[in-house]
Amino acid sequence: MSARREVISAAGGVTNAADGGSPPASPAVRGGDFIFVSGLTAVDRQSGERVPGTTASETRLILGNLKQVLQAAGSSLDQVVKVNVLLHSMLEAPNMNEVYVGFFPDPPPARTVCGARLPDGVKVIIECTALVCRI
Amino acid sequence: MREVIPAPLPGLDLRRHYGHHQSPAIRAGGLIFCSGMLPIDPQTGERRHGTLTSEAHIVLGNLKLLLESAGSSLDRLVQVHALIYDSIEYDVLNRVYRQYVANGPPARTVWTAQIEAGFKIELDAIAAA
Amino acid sequence: MTEKLQRTAITPKNPLLNASRAGNLPHVPGIRVGDYIFLSGMVPVDPQTGERSHGPIAEQVRMTLSNMRHMLESAGSSLDRVVRVHAVLADIAHMAEMDRVYREFFPSEAPARTAWSMQLRFGNGCEIECVALAN
Repeated sequence: MSARREVISAAGGVTNAADGGSPPASPAVRGGDFIFVSGLTAVDRQSGERVPGTTASETRLILGNLKQVLQAAGSSLDQVVKVNVLLHSMLEAPNMNEVYVGFFPDPPPARTVCGARLPDGVKVIIECTALVCRI
Repeated sequence: MREVIPAPLPGLDLRRHYGHHQSPAIRAGGLIFCSGMLPIDPQTGERRHGTLTSEAHIVLGNLKLLLESAGSSLDRLVQVHALIYDSIEYDVLNRVYRQYVANGPPARTVWTAQIEAGFKIELDAIAAA
Repeated sequence: MTEKLQRTAITPKNPLLNASRAGNLPHVPGIRVGDYIFLSGMVPVDPQTGERSHGPIAEQVRMTLSNMRHMLESAGSSLDRVVRVHAVLADIAHMAEMDRVYREFFPSEAPARTAWSMQLRFGNGCEIECVALAN
């Protein structure tokens, strides 16, 4: 039997979609044992507006939103298995890490961090994969 | 159920050596999700900068150690992101990489990205447990 | 103890889309394992000729995603089973155009996505990778 695929829609007002149409990416998709969360950027949870800031402030906002998305998807930060962090510059890695430490409890998920060219002048994008919590 | 795969050798504990808030790998759902593997000495954790070739050998050797300690192996890789600092090194990457994945290589995407500490290569891998 | 998952390589029905075999490269077009299919990054290759596309980005994205559809269908899956996409552009300025074409392939209940820009090989304008549910 094939695994079920379910989209987690803009839960709790979290959305990166600028237009009113169907977003090009769902915040998260549940399929099989895992929840696949889109690369999140720093947006206001309610309005979906971008909130540019420092790498640290953007990381904080993103991870707060991630917590909400995971909750809506039936998971949580402590069920995350792998995180990919994209930074506009690897010089900012320690600033990102300092905030990141406060969100992921022990033992933390696996992680890869690298620098790349990011859209819309964002300083950081964070995506992750998490386990579905089955009670 | 989510299980941490601890560092098989002390050098691969990047949290201890570098304060990176991450586990070496996590096993879940029959898969092993590895943190990006870097050219560091698996015993001491020291950075081993070199050519792409020398760094790639260290990375793949480290990944082999990690996966085997978890009951898996390089033969059970399913997806790799091969991060290289410049796409000009693509052929060099392949020359080393193919030595380690000869028995049924996994899916792979090469990312030309900025890697920490100026390393030339990092491998981001998922393997079957 | 749970049984170890089997992993099997995926090959496209159209051999011109099997760049790894043609180029004797150390990867496979995709791997099926458990509930999932992990595809290697796909690029704008003309499925009729096997040649790289040098056209405008919209054409390149369309070709890449058509090829992805073919790859997934060759493996018994489909675009609507995709759970995660990594969409990489050589030029970050192409994001809006990429989005426009992308929506044609994922019109609703879109997968999770992370999109960014990096240096790509061989003059490719885009490289798109995905994870999908099998079956």
